[in-house]
Amino acid sequence: MRDELMKIVGVAIEAATKAGASDAAAGAYRSRSVAFQVRNGKLEQVNDSTSRALSMRLFVDGRYSEHTTTDLRAERVTAFVTEAVKMTRALQADPHRRLADPARYPTALPALDLADATVQRLDREQRLAWAMRMNERVAGKPQVISSTSSVSDGHTVVAGATTNGLSASYETTSIGLSTDATLEDGDKRPEDWMGAWGHHVADLPDPDGIADEALRLARARLGTTKGPTKRTAMVVDRRAAGSIVARLLGPASGGAVQQERSFWRGKLDQALVSPKLTIVDDPLVPRGLGSRPFDGEGMASARLPLIDGGALRNLYLDTYYASKLGLTPTTGQGSNRIVTLGTKGRDALLKDAGTGIYVTSWLGGNMDPTTGDFSLGVRGHLFDKGALGAPVGEMNVTGNIVDLFARLAAVGNDPWLYSGTVAPTLVFDGVQFSGA
Amino acid sequence: MKSMMTRRRFLHGVGAGTALVTMPQFLAACGGKGGAAATTPAAAPANPFLDWFGIDEAMLRRVMAELTSRGATHADAYFQHSRTNTLRMEDGLISQATSSIDQGVGLRVVVGDQIGYAFTEDLTEEAMLAAARTAAAIAAGGALAPPEAFAYRPETTGFYQIAVPWADVGIDQKLPRLRLAEAQARGGDSSIKKVSVSWVDSDERVLVVNRHGRIVTDQRPMARLYVNVTAERGGVTQSNGADLAGRRGFDWLTDAQLREVADRAVARTLVLFDARRPPAGELPVILAAGASGILLHEAIGHGLEADFNRKGTSIYASMLGQQIAPEFVTIVDDATVAHERGALNVDDEGNDTERTVLVDRGVLRSYLHDQISAEHYKVATTGSGRRQSFRFAPLPRMRCTYMENGPHTRDELIAAVKGTGIIAETFTNGQVQIGAGDYTFYIKNGWLVEDGKVTAPIKDVNIIGNGPESLRRITMAANDSQLDIGGWTCGKDGQGVPVSQGLPTVLVSSMTVGGENA
Repeated sequence: MRDELMKIVGVAIEAATKAGASDAAAGAYRSRSVAFQVRNGKLEQVNDSTSRALSMRLFVDGRYSEHTTTDLRAERVTAFVTEAVKMTRALQADPHRRLADPARYPTALPALDLADATVQRLDREQRLAWAMRMNERVAGKPQVISSTSSVSDGHTVVAGATTNGLSASYETTSIGLSTDATLEDGDKRPEDWMGAWGHHVADLPDPDGIADEALRLARARLGTTKGPTKRTAMVVDRRAAGSIVARLLGPASGGAVQQERSFWRGKLDQALVSPKLTIVDDPLVPRGLGSRPFDGEGMASARLPLIDGGALRNLYLDTYYASKLGLTPTTGQGSNRIVTLGTKGRDALLKDAGTGIYVTSWLGGNMDPTTGDFSLGVRGHLFDKGALGAPVGEMNVTGNIVDLFARLAAVGNDPWLYSGTVAPTLVFDGVQFSGA
Repeated sequence: MKSMMTRRRFLHGVGAGTALVTMPQFLAACGGKGGAAATTPAAAPANPFLDWFGIDEAMLRRVMAELTSRGATHADAYFQHSRTNTLRMEDGLISQATSSIDQGVGLRVVVGDQIGYAFTEDLTEEAMLAAARTAAAIAAGGALAPPEAFAYRPETTGFYQIAVPWADVGIDQKLPRLRLAEAQARGGDSSIKKVSVSWVDSDERVLVVNRHGRIVTDQRPMARLYVNVTAERGGVTQSNGADLAGRRGFDWLTDAQLREVADRAVARTLVLFDARRPPAGELPVILAAGASGILLHEAIGHGLEADFNRKGTSIYASMLGQQIAPEFVTIVDDATVAHERGALNVDDEGNDTERTVLVDRGVLRSYLHDQISAEHYKVATTGSGRRQSFRFAPLPRMRCTYMENGPHTRDELIAAVKGTGIIAETFTNGQVQIGAGDYTFYIKNGWLVEDGKVTAPIKDVNIIGNGPESLRRITMAANDSQLDIGGWTCGKDGQGVPVSQGLPTVLVSSMTVGGENA
């Protein structure tokens, strides 16, 4: 399969050169994905497909364009690429567009252990058994109106080549388990879910535990009311923490900074947020969800310190925006964003915080990347004297993301591993909630 | 990992297009439908869509035979070819130009409420038969006879015919359009530092064939232009944008349209310098006409998609026939509004579309149905079965969702606000929890209203409410209903589809406003 994909990218590169491209990069993938879904004890849906595509970046007389096709027959690829080169000539020259520096390409691929032979050997019976087993623990239980359990897995092969020396391929597998539950609760039907995924079957938690946690979380929503409008401590559950960290990092990209749509612009190395916050982007974590041997431009993976002691140390910079900003490229794509851990677990942090609102999930909302002003829907629980209390919902938190992270009071020791942004429980002081 | 995201139902208005494309010129062959124009009966030309996908009726028969080899209530094949071109101008240069072609077939077998689904991008008979076998594995019955003959749906609607297919519009024609929009925005104010313009155009061809041999074809154009502006005053930087979208052709992008969207982006950005946060808590909210249709999309639209009701997971599951809103509220989900993003000649199961009245003078009248839910409820489908692409099984989805005119005027609504309230004017996104009924939408621009007077601009406010409660709290609706001109994409179970929305100016007596108190 890897040979077949390398052949396709080879055909594409050759066609591009022949059609007059001065440089070109080609990437191709082939992916098998299977998903089994069981609802209320009955198999509801099976999806099973094999997918593939070719993408190209073309450099023609100082002009640049990108192309994708799913029609991979050799003669079609040649026609497609020839047409694409012609289209590129109609553009204006852009002096900042070039292939990545070949010195940045990997000389040998790191061993990241991203493919699990067990996943590739899964059969219908095993997938169905997992889904049924999870579902049995939730469907039919008191107050459960509906419960869906899913098992999804995939195997993907990726190949890439450029005219300046990259030629590499790798494969990954993925496996995910999830279960949701919707409960009867007067005229409302509260729902929650639990899921986990990884590259290896062995890295997943026990399916029974996933199902039990989904039911426990849904039951915890029973009797939800609107919490109070007040400024108070916010403790963010580790499952919800990755999302707020991702909002902080979103504008830390070359494109956002160069286009002046980033609150990080001009703030490199300044201690803007709490010194308790340190985040590293590490694509080399063995079996990491966001791990990869090289990025979309072919640049070898390397650890990238993002925030260290409250100051931004690096931006995500691809070759293009690095050139526009006069900086050295890092990578244009995030991988595993890992928050450096504190020393305490959730319960101890709740106790330290005393009184406030424990946020278990976000609902909608947004952030202005230029100013950092945000407003987000939340649900969770009140807590008092460190003890979790009644479920609350239909509330917002509002503020400025830089100010919020300046109010970061504590970082937990309990990372949530089933996310590209690996974060633990986070505690913020004096956050504006709006509710009743 | 897509199925891990099944909890998310959301709507977003800004951000780059996801698909990308330019195809060799066999597009010209696809001008008609049904092959009805054959002049020599002895040698009727094949349907141009069959040619397009490189298939013929004999091949379709074999694929359908394989697909129904273990029985089926429904079975269909959804062939799709889409080409998309995007352009982005930054710093006065095209910083990105993309083209993409996405072609494939999705094969579905339905047995009761069970679904087997497979797709392939490889349209060879061998690959299609293999995918059909995979999809058929859901069933365990006896083989059905494949269709003996195929019948083509006659062309009855044309909600988005355009003069020139997008594939025939060269980059040389598009560049001056982008430059005009860019220059207009850049000249809008001396504080403007950056302008970017994003362009997406696409043509999509679909052919749906079901197990009875009914063949339905459709051509779906789409265009979108987005202008983003960054300005700086006194060391403060602000950015915002505006867009235009529809199932439209190149001739739609007149100088006047381009200038209007650029001016709108500039105005929305400059007002942010004076904007502040409203107070936090429960306030009366006036939803401005147009984009505020996001209220309907989140507060009720998703909750009326019949799959959620069939499964009992929607807060609206037991409310059919009940008075759920004041008598002046009529809410419609309509596929027949010409050239809107949510317009559809046929849905993605090949069924005719319609204007579906969801709420008639305050009474809940209908859900949005695909074939599976229509069968469950023993009603006709509303033509709401939609999918992102051939890679996905269809689901009941919204199209153009709007509220009809109410009896009041906008001025009356503003005058009715006692104490402090807000006007919600532009939005970026929204989301809903189907069962709890809690929904949100994010206000990018709006106004503070104090004692019946508009006093100051506001920005960046999330609103959260409960669907049925908010409908009951609609106290006034004006006579100025309009559809939003922007490009909304609705997400459900990992699938994005284009939608439209609209509203007259509406007053909701209380919603939870994500503001800030001193």
